[in-house]
Amino acid sequence: MPALEMSKVRKVYGSGEEEVVAVDDVDLTIENDEMLTLIGPSGSGKTTLLTMAGALLRPTSGSIKVGGQEITDLDDKELSSFRREQIGFVFQAVNLVPFLTAEENLLVVRQLGGASVDDEARDRAKTLLEGLGLGERCDRLPSKLSGGQKQRVAIGRALMNDPALMLVDEPTSSLDTELGQQVMELIRTEVKSRGVAAIVVTHDERVLDFGDRLVRIVDGVLESN
Amino acid sequence: MRIALKELRRQPGRFASVGGALTLLVVLLVVLGGFLDGLQLGQTGAYRAHEGRLLVFSDDSDLLIQRSRLDGEATSSIEATDQVAAVGELRFIETTAGIGGDGGTGANETESRDLVDVVLIGYDLGTNMVPVPPGPGETVVDQALAELHDVAVGDTIRIGPTSEPLDVVELVDDVSQGSPTLWVPTESWLQLVAAGNPSELPPEGVSQALVVELDDGAEPTTVTEQLGSTPGVEVASVSDVIDALPVVQQQSTVFQGIIGVTFVVTLLVVALFFALITLERVELYAVLKALGARTVDLVSGITAQAVVVSIVALIGGLALSTLFVSLLPADLPVRIEPSRLVQVGVGILLTAVIGSLFTLRRILGIDPAEAIG
Repeated sequence: MPALEMSKVRKVYGSGEEEVVAVDDVDLTIENDEMLTLIGPSGSGKTTLLTMAGALLRPTSGSIKVGGQEITDLDDKELSSFRREQIGFVFQAVNLVPFLTAEENLLVVRQLGGASVDDEARDRAKTLLEGLGLGERCDRLPSKLSGGQKQRVAIGRALMNDPALMLVDEPTSSLDTELGQQVMELIRTEVKSRGVAAIVVTHDERVLDFGDRLVRIVDGVLESN
Repeated sequence: MRIALKELRRQPGRFASVGGALTLLVVLLVVLGGFLDGLQLGQTGAYRAHEGRLLVFSDDSDLLIQRSRLDGEATSSIEATDQVAAVGELRFIETTAGIGGDGGTGANETESRDLVDVVLIGYDLGTNMVPVPPGPGETVVDQALAELHDVAVGDTIRIGPTSEPLDVVELVDDVSQGSPTLWVPTESWLQLVAAGNPSELPPEGVSQALVVELDDGAEPTTVTEQLGSTPGVEVASVSDVIDALPVVQQQSTVFQGIIGVTFVVTLLVVALFFALITLERVELYAVLKALGARTVDLVSGITAQAVVVSIVALIGGLALSTLFVSLLPADLPVRIEPSRLVQVGVGILLTAVIGSLFTLRRILGIDPAEAIG
C-alpha cells in the first residue's frame, strides 16, 4: 500500500474571473520509505500540494489517501486527529515551542491529543534525540540550540508518532551548505531506516540529489513524475 | 493545558503585567467590600444581636424602629401566640453620652468630658451577643466606645442633656448601630428618656418594637404567619429588617455598583491581555494546530493560565489588602469578612475564565495551513 496516493487532485481558489487554479489534476504516488523532492518556482503550487497531502487543506476535487485512508471526507476534528497520528511536519521556520525543552518538544505531539506522557513516550523521545545526535541536549530550550540542532529536534518531533508520511518544508533555507547537507542526509537516513515516506519541498539546488525522485511543479501541474 | 502551565512556570515575566494589574484590582475589591461590610455591620449591630429571633413592628413603620409604635393589645396578642417562648421589648433612641470628666455637672464640672453620639437601647432579652439586661443605673457598652474613647468596665457614662449617670458593667463587641450603643433594661431606658428627652417618650403602654423568641423546633415561617395576623403589626426576620434600613440600601447600591464596575474592568484586563498574547502566538498556534492540537486544547491552556494568574493575584491581593487595612485609622469602618473574600475569589476566577474565553473566536480562526508557506 503506498504511503500517499493523490488522484486527480485539483485545488481552486476564488470563483468566476477571480478563479485561480493552484493545483491542477495532480496524480502522485509515493511508496513507503520513498523520499520525494518537490521543486518549483514561487507560486507554482508546492505549498498547496504539501498542505493538501498533510491534511491541512481540502482539495476542490480529487482523492487523497494517506496510508490507505481517504482523507478528503474527514471533518476538522478527524483531520486534527489524523494529522496527529499519521503526518509528521518539519516546518521551514522550524517552529519549536520556545518554552519547552528539546525532549518536551517531541512529547508535545502526544500531549496535544489529550494523552498522558508515559514512560514509553519518554523513552521514544530520548531514543529519537539520541539517534539525531542530541542525546546530551534533551533538556535544553530551543534558545540554547544551534540552527542545525533545532532542525534536528523538528525532525524528531515529526517522527515522534511514527507517521506514515513526513512533510518537510524548505529544511535547508536558513542553513549553510555543510549543515544543510547534514540535515538532508539525516532526513534521508531516518526515512530509509524507519520506512517513512517523505516529501521534501525545496528551492535549494544544493540538496536536490538526496531524494529518490525529483518532481517539478509549475503552475499547479506536475511536470515530471 | 500542561504545555500552557509550563509556559507560565518558565516564563512568569510574560504574565507579570496582568498578574500585577489583577493583584491591584483584588486589593480594590477587597477594600471596597471591606468598607461596605464595615459600614453595614456598623449600622446593624443591634439587630444582628437578635439573630434567629423575629422582630415585630407596627405595620405603618416600614420596619423602622424609630417610626414603630405597638400598643399593649398587640403585645398581649403576640405573647399569646403558639410556639412563642418569650417576648421582649426593644427601644432605640439616639442621644449623647458624656465620657470622662470629673463627675460634676454644669457649672460644677471642673474637667471637660468627651461628648459623643450614642444609641441608647432598652431591651428585655439577653442574646448570644448581649448579656441579660444589667441592673438599674448600669449599662452594657459597645466595644467601639471602649476603642474610640477608652471606656472601661467600672467607668461612669453620663447620658443625655441631663447627664444621667450609668455605670459600665460589661463591654460587648460588634453591636454598633450607626453610633456606639449603650444597652440598659427597658425600665431604665424609659426613665432616662423621660429625664433627658421627654418629647421622644412613647405614651405609656406603647412599645417601639418587640423581639420574639421561638420555642425550640418551632417553624419560623409558620409563627411569622400567625404573628402577622395580629392587627397593626408587621413581623420580619432580622435580615429583612436590616435590608429595610434606608442607609443600608443606599450604601449597598453605591458600593455594589462600584464593585460591579471593578469586576467589569477586571474582565476587560484579562480579555485584553490574553487577546494580545493570542495575537503574538498566532504562528505558534498554527503550528500546534498543524501538529494536531484541537481548538479546545489551546483555549483550555489559555484559560488555565488565566486561572493560575488569578489565583496568584488573589493570594497577593489578599495579603496586600490585609496589610493596607491594618494601616488604616481605627475609626474607619473597614471589616474584612470571610464571605466577602469568598465572593471576591469566586468573582475573580469566574472573570478570568470568561475573559480568557474572549480568545476563542481568534483561535477558531487560526488556519493550521498557515504553518506552512
